[in-house]
Amino acid sequence: MKLLSNVVDWLEVRLGINELVENYLTGYLLPRNINFWYSMGSILITIFAVQVITGALLLVYYLPEADKAFASVTDIMNRVPFGWLIRTCHAVGSSMMVLFLLFHLLSVLFMGSYKSPRELNWLTGFILFTLVQGFCLTGYLLPWSQLSFWATTVATNSVGAIPYVGQFLVEFLRGGKLVSPATLGRFYTLHIAVLPILLVSIVGAHFFFLERIGVSTPPFGTGESKNRWQGDSFRYEGHPGGIPFFPNYLLQDMTSIAIYFAFFFAMIFFFPAIFFPKDAFIQANPFLTPAHIKPEWYFLANYQTLKLFPNEFIGLSIQGAAMTFLALLPFIDRGKEKHPLKRPLFLACAVGGIILYIGLSIWGHYS
Amino acid sequence: MNTSVVVTTLLFLSVIAIIPAGGADLPPQAEIVCIQCHSAQPGKLGEPVKLWRGSIHAANGVACNNCHGGDPKDAANAMSPARGFLGAPKETDIPAFCGRCHVGVARDYMRSAHGRALGKGGPTCVTCHSNHLVVKASLDIINEKRCSQCHGYEQARIIKEAMQLTETRIISIGGKIDTYKGEGVDTDRLEKGLFSVRNSFHTLFHDVDVAMVKRESAQINSNLDSIDGSLAKIAEERRKRKLAGVAVVGAALLAALLLYLLRRSYD
Repeated sequence: MKLLSNVVDWLEVRLGINELVENYLTGYLLPRNINFWYSMGSILITIFAVQVITGALLLVYYLPEADKAFASVTDIMNRVPFGWLIRTCHAVGSSMMVLFLLFHLLSVLFMGSYKSPRELNWLTGFILFTLVQGFCLTGYLLPWSQLSFWATTVATNSVGAIPYVGQFLVEFLRGGKLVSPATLGRFYTLHIAVLPILLVSIVGAHFFFLERIGVSTPPFGTGESKNRWQGDSFRYEGHPGGIPFFPNYLLQDMTSIAIYFAFFFAMIFFFPAIFFPKDAFIQANPFLTPAHIKPEWYFLANYQTLKLFPNEFIGLSIQGAAMTFLALLPFIDRGKEKHPLKRPLFLACAVGGIILYIGLSIWGHYS
Repeated sequence: MNTSVVVTTLLFLSVIAIIPAGGADLPPQAEIVCIQCHSAQPGKLGEPVKLWRGSIHAANGVACNNCHGGDPKDAANAMSPARGFLGAPKETDIPAFCGRCHVGVARDYMRSAHGRALGKGGPTCVTCHSNHLVVKASLDIINEKRCSQCHGYEQARIIKEAMQLTETRIISIGGKIDTYKGEGVDTDRLEKGLFSVRNSFHTLFHDVDVAMVKRESAQINSNLDSIDGSLAKIAEERRKRKLAGVAVVGAALLAALLLYLLRRSYD
C-alpha cells in the first residue's frame, strides 16, 4: 500500500491528479434526473473499443489480396484459435454499433438534447453515424465473398445515378469500371487507416463539445422541461447538487455495458450466423450473380425507397434531402420546449419517421 | 465557415450515407448469343432455353456451347461447324456426347444392360435424364412410369430399395454440410469427400446387378461413416461453444445485477 501511495504522490506533484479526479470523476456532477439513455455513449465507446481490438487481431491473419482474402478469412474462422469468436464479434459488433448509434440518436432527439447550444454535438454525432456506415460498407468487401462482391457492386452502382459526375465517382470508388482487386485495396485502406483517423478525430470533437457545454438536463422528472440557454454568452451547463459521475453514474454505465455484453454474447454464442447469409461464405465470383442480394438490415429502408421510385436519382435525392434535414435539425427546430409530449408536431413526425423506417425495412427484407 | 460550406459538406455526407443503399437490381450478366437468339423464338427452337434454365447444367454454368459447340460470342457464326458447332447428336451418339464430361458414368452405362441395348431400342442418357431439363441425379429417376416404358419394374424396384438407405444418408449428410457451410465452417474437404462418394454411388445407378449394388453400397457407407464422424466433431465443438456461451452470458448478467445493486447502495 505504501508503494501505491508513493506512486500516487509522485504523480500528484507532477500531474495534479487529485484535481483531475475532482474535476472529471467525483466532482463531475450530472443532473439528478439523469436516466438510462445517457449510457448509450458509454456503450458505444465500449463497442468501438471491441471493434478496434478484434479488428487489430483480425489484421494479424487477414490478407488483403483478392486471391487470398477469402481463404484467409476462412482460416480465421476455422483454424486460428478463437478466430471464429474474434471475427464474429467484429461482424456482429458492426451491426451493434449502428443499432446503438440509432438508440443514442433517438434518445437525443426525443429529449431535445440537440437544441441550442448543442448544435455542434449533434452535427459531430451525425457525422459519426455517417462514418460508421462508411466503416460498415468498406468492411463488407474485405472477406471477398459473393455477398461482399455483389453488395459492393450494387452499392457503388447507385453512385452512378448522380448526374454528370456519377460514372466518374463509380470508377473512382472502384478503381476501375468493375469491382476488382483495386476496389479491395481502396476499401481496405479506408477501413483500417482513413476512417479510423476520421472517427477518432470526430469522437474527440464530440467529447470536446460535451466537456465545454456540459451534459444536458433531461426534460423528465423535474417539472422544468424548457431549454434555459439564452444565447447571450457562453455558459457551461453545470448541475449543482447533482449526482457525481464517480461512483454513481459510472456504476450505471457499467451496468448498462454489462447488460449490453449479455445481449451481444448471446448473439455471438447462440445465433452466430444471424448477420451472415449463405453468400457470405462463398468466395466472390464476378461471373456468377447470386439470385438475391439484400443489403444489411440498416440499409434496407434506403434500398426499398430506391425501389419505389422509377428513377434512381429521384430516390437518392429524396434520401439525401431527408438526411440533410435531419443533420440540420438543430438549426431548424429553434423551440425552447424539450419534453416530447409538449412538442406534438415533433412527436408526430418522429414517431411517423420511425414507423416509416421500420416499415420500409421490413418491406425491403421481404420484397 | 459560412453556412453554404456547411450545407455543401452535409449534402456530400448525406450522399455518402445513402451510398450503400444501392440500386435495387443487380447488373445482368451478359448472355451468350445462343440464349439471346433462341429464347426469342417460338416452339421447338425456343423450348430448349426454357428447359435449360431450370436444369442443373444452368445452375452450374454449363451453357449451350459446352455441349453443342459453336461460338457463343458471334451470332453470325455461332452455329458454324468451322467454329466447332456439333448440333444435336444422333441417338446412338448420345452416350458418347454426354460422356465427354461424364466419363465414368458413360463407361458404366456402356457396360450395363442398358448400354448393351444401345441402338436396339435400349435407353440412352436422355431417356431417363431428359435432354435440356437435366436435373440433379437422384433415386427418384428410378420409378415405375419411367422404367415401364421399356420393361417390367420389379428388378428396378429391388435395386432402388437396396440403394434407398444410402441415398437418404447422402442427402442427410449433404444437408448437414450445407448448414455448417452457411455458418462459416470450412466444409471444403467434406464437400469433396461427399462429392466423391456420391459419384461412386451414382455409378451404381447404371448397373443392374443387385448383388453388386449391395456390395458396393457397404463400401460407400463406410466412407459416409468417416464424413459423419467429422460432422459429429463439428457438432460437439458447437455444443461446447453453446455451453461457453451460457457461462459468458450468465457472467455478464450477474455482473449487471451486482453493479446495479452497488449503484443502488450508493443512491
